[in-house]
Amino acid sequence: MTRPPLWRLAPWTRAPLLGLRQPAAVLAVLVTCAILACAVASAPLFLSSARSAALQQQLSQRCDEVARPQTGVNAALVDQAGRPLSADRSARPDVDESFLRGWAAAGYDAEPVLATATIGAAGPAPFPALVGRADGSFLSQPVTLFQRPAALDHVQVVARTDGAGVWVPESVADIEGLSPGDVLAFGDQQAPVAGVYRDLAVANADDPYWCDYRLLFLNAASANTPPPPMLLTSDEATFYRLATAAFGAAVRLQQVRVDASSLSVTDARRLLQVQQRLITASGVPVAWGPNDSAIAVPNDRLADVIDRATLIESGLRGPVVPVAVAGALLALVLVASAGSFWADRRATEVRLLAARGVGPVPLAGKAALELGLPALAGVALGWAAARLLTATLGPSDDLDPSATTAAVWTAAAAFVVGLGASAVVAGLRARSTAERPLGAAPRWPSRVPWELLLLLGAGWCWLLLRSRDAVVSVGYVAQVNGLLVAFPLLAIAGSAVLLGRLVTALLPRLRRWAGRRSPAVFLAVNRLTAARLATATLLVAVTLPVAVLGYTATLTASSQATLDAKVGVQIGATAAATTVTRLEVTPAIEAAGTYVVRYAGSVAAAAGGQGDSSGRANVQVLAVDPADFARTAFWDDSFADDSLAGLMSALTGPEVAGRLPVVAAGVPTGDPGLRLGAADVPAEVVATARLLPGRRSDEPVVLVAADRLPEITRNAGAAPTAELWTNGDPGTAIDALTDAGARNIRTLTPSGVQESANFLGITWTFGYLSALAVFVGVIAVGGLLLYLEARSRSRVSGYVMARRLGLTRGAHLRSLVVELAGVAVAGLMLGGALAAGAVAVVYRRLDVDRVRPPTPLLDVPWSALAASAVVVIGVAGLAALYAQRGADRADPATVLRQDA
Amino acid sequence: MTQRRQPTGGLEGVGLVKRFQRGAETVTALAGVDLRVDAGEFVALVGPSGSGKSTLLALLCGWEVPDEGQLSYLGPLADRRPETLGWRNLALVPQALGLVADLGLADNVLLPARLRRTDGAAQSRADTLLADFGLAHLADRYPHQASLGEQQRAALARALLLRPAVLLADEPTAHQDRGHADRMLDAVVDAAREGSAVLIATHDELAWARADRVLSMRDGRVTEGAPA
Repeated sequence: MTRPPLWRLAPWTRAPLLGLRQPAAVLAVLVTCAILACAVASAPLFLSSARSAALQQQLSQRCDEVARPQTGVNAALVDQAGRPLSADRSARPDVDESFLRGWAAAGYDAEPVLATATIGAAGPAPFPALVGRADGSFLSQPVTLFQRPAALDHVQVVARTDGAGVWVPESVADIEGLSPGDVLAFGDQQAPVAGVYRDLAVANADDPYWCDYRLLFLNAASANTPPPPMLLTSDEATFYRLATAAFGAAVRLQQVRVDASSLSVTDARRLLQVQQRLITASGVPVAWGPNDSAIAVPNDRLADVIDRATLIESGLRGPVVPVAVAGALLALVLVASAGSFWADRRATEVRLLAARGVGPVPLAGKAALELGLPALAGVALGWAAARLLTATLGPSDDLDPSATTAAVWTAAAAFVVGLGASAVVAGLRARSTAERPLGAAPRWPSRVPWELLLLLGAGWCWLLLRSRDAVVSVGYVAQVNGLLVAFPLLAIAGSAVLLGRLVTALLPRLRRWAGRRSPAVFLAVNRLTAARLATATLLVAVTLPVAVLGYTATLTASSQATLDAKVGVQIGATAAATTVTRLEVTPAIEAAGTYVVRYAGSVAAAAGGQGDSSGRANVQVLAVDPADFARTAFWDDSFADDSLAGLMSALTGPEVAGRLPVVAAGVPTGDPGLRLGAADVPAEVVATARLLPGRRSDEPVVLVAADRLPEITRNAGAAPTAELWTNGDPGTAIDALTDAGARNIRTLTPSGVQESANFLGITWTFGYLSALAVFVGVIAVGGLLLYLEARSRSRVSGYVMARRLGLTRGAHLRSLVVELAGVAVAGLMLGGALAAGAVAVVYRRLDVDRVRPPTPLLDVPWSALAASAVVVIGVAGLAALYAQRGADRADPATVLRQDA
Repeated sequence: MTQRRQPTGGLEGVGLVKRFQRGAETVTALAGVDLRVDAGEFVALVGPSGSGKSTLLALLCGWEVPDEGQLSYLGPLADRRPETLGWRNLALVPQALGLVADLGLADNVLLPARLRRTDGAAQSRADTLLADFGLAHLADRYPHQASLGEQQRAALARALLLRPAVLLADEPTAHQDRGHADRMLDAVVDAAREGSAVLIATHDELAWARADRVLSMRDGRVTEGAPA
């Protein structure tokens, strides 16, 4: 009879079902494959999430219209001869209608949102003419005729009549003597003044409805030259009738409303593609040519926002991809361990097969068949978990479809690689259990310190990093150099494994020591010593997440503290309102914050560093109130050896040889030869700081008590500005200054200071690293459970017998606590030390904004680290209880009737 | 070897019945067993595989509870419940040996004394037992690094360490060569002579010959005398 091929035999054909008979092994493979899939799938999902969030965050800071794709034209409504282009001069031009039809055909609901016409000014219109009155006279200035749906719902009505016509701003009505009912002439057409509204710059400047049209009523550069006043038309037909008659050049826009808070980059690009297609189809050029009478007005700002979001994403890609790979490799080790666990659980059968000559390859095939279904289920779970975690905890829950597809493919790859790794390890393990002689020494690969390769890699990264910026700014987007992530991760991983190897090498000495200790300690140490590889793996599994979490949490907190400090130093406090108006300090000002007068000053070059040709160096002199300055001004203890309150007390000290005591940063102690403008101010620097709040340039800062400063006359040229620094509502500070008579008040806020750079990439990089640390923690917990389960049979057997020998339940539980908590504490200490080392090496290089002081600060998030330590020890305690419960539930008669 | 007398005892079972449920089928492992082992007596329990020997030993040491019948210990152990008996009162060598996998063979042998904090006093006896059983050179090896026979000898050495009043052993010489089996039987006989009540389940005919009595077991029942 012919023997059937191996793969036709029952151990292989029945393998998928046989695997289900080992719930622990099934669960191990399922969970570890889920962790692996989660690790690899999270990278594309996270990058997509970050890209969407970068887009949404930028859009949230800008007008709604920036997110809306639009078509439109800027064109005259009359031809060269002044004849209307449209037969019905009150109707919307054909090109506008064709755009609307184009949007509808593409499946989008666009609407005409705006029509503006400049009347009486030079421009594309061939015959500029001012708006006339009924008596034949003209208004004194050009106007902008403005039509937008619901515009009249967003104005403050001063006076009105019923009916169609134009609405004029209050200031124009006052100057021109217009009131409702008066008639205005636009070429050969007339329209009544239907109403008067309060100037938008006064009443509605902050209304989001007007956000994108502020340039039409506000001149941010100069309040003295306002834009042409806006005459609002009551309806679209009136607009076109008047604009056509006035030969106005009209801008007409059609926009698609989108929800910017849920917009993904893919969605935005698709919208822009439709926009581009419609513009191209219209044949209207996008830039003025010599013979053009019209240009298209697409939304070109959304593309910029997309580019910036993509830039942020590309900056994240550098750190995220190596992190994801590192996480995947760790997870792969766990999956391989699950394969080994399977071999242990199926020891009886695989030993028999191995003894009958079945090699590692068929055994691996058997393992793959048995573990395939749980691995597939695990990968599906891991993909779903990555999707859920990214949507829940990631920067945004709006993911690009392409990212979801990429995540599916990476999860599929994880299935193949994970199943292959677990099967190979299972096959080798199964075969080696049958072939290894008793008491054989470890094979040479386990003796080679492979982790030194990781340390060499870390060293190489560090060398590269020394010649490159740790944080780079591309297009005002701050990006973390991937080396800054790779270096500490490699160093931490390599060091953790090396330390784990060294610590476990010392275990035999510990075993001798434990021989003289209580049974609990004796048993715990012997368990750790007997399974040195498992102990080392567990130790590394605890050390790694602790170290990575400590490193990322500290760098995140430090970079945030540094950023806050930079903003705080720049502004002086949380916010500041400034004015050049000279004013008296009122109780309202004192209540709102601390009042500071800033002077342009100078010191002798010898005192203040490099000076100009006159031998003087510029300084900023801040006249402060020592009584309340320290309560409001931003301060970090690293700024000076003394506290800010201590420095303030120096300001109130006695004069030094008739000179005012001052505190300075950048000027040494002694007589600096201080001048405010041209006025000499005898002063003595009695205390110094490395940095003082309110520094807005690279010039040294000098603090002086305002009430001791002599009168500085206007002709001294000290350019004084009054500032109210506050940690409360900036509006209150503005009101206080306004009430005191201040004009032209400017405000300094953190968002304004930071708007020149985007730090999202840095924040998300460390957020992702923190997620990695938590992820590694999950791997560690999974590893701990595998460790417990893999050794449960021998532990339960030993426990059952030891109870008979006289071991109490309490002593056994204590031994488990000593064993697991001992590893946890050792891992915490090693992880903490590695994190501290990595932070010490790196944090000074993580300057997110090198233009502004201070240099990077160190902020250790002790509470977060303490919470992590509690979690680690808590997990160890729970694991001990879990193991004790398993031992308690064992049936001695069953356990001790199994084969030895 | 120390000649210190140990607490004596013995055990007696009357009408012991033990049934197991295997799916829908009820298996009667013990069908009314009567036996008695007195202090100083070495009894061999023989019978084919599946006859109920291991079940009877599990029941006698308290790991199983009889469905019917009465189990009692004799002499100073009278009225003691099985779970209250320490290793000095009742020691055993189970079929799976029950060596603690994380301890070396020497530590396994000494463990009963270490748990009682008397390891200092028991060290010399442990060394003697290791030497007698040919394990001295394997003292630091873990069980999985030793052969099954070596593990078996370590398990018997551990059982004998505290000179128990009752010694139960499940096929203690099953994996031994003749020489080691003889040395182990010598030790068991010595234990009986010192006052222990010894009951071993065995297929080893030499053990039958060394025993004071032989009990035969078949189909869950015990009869006096060696099987035919």
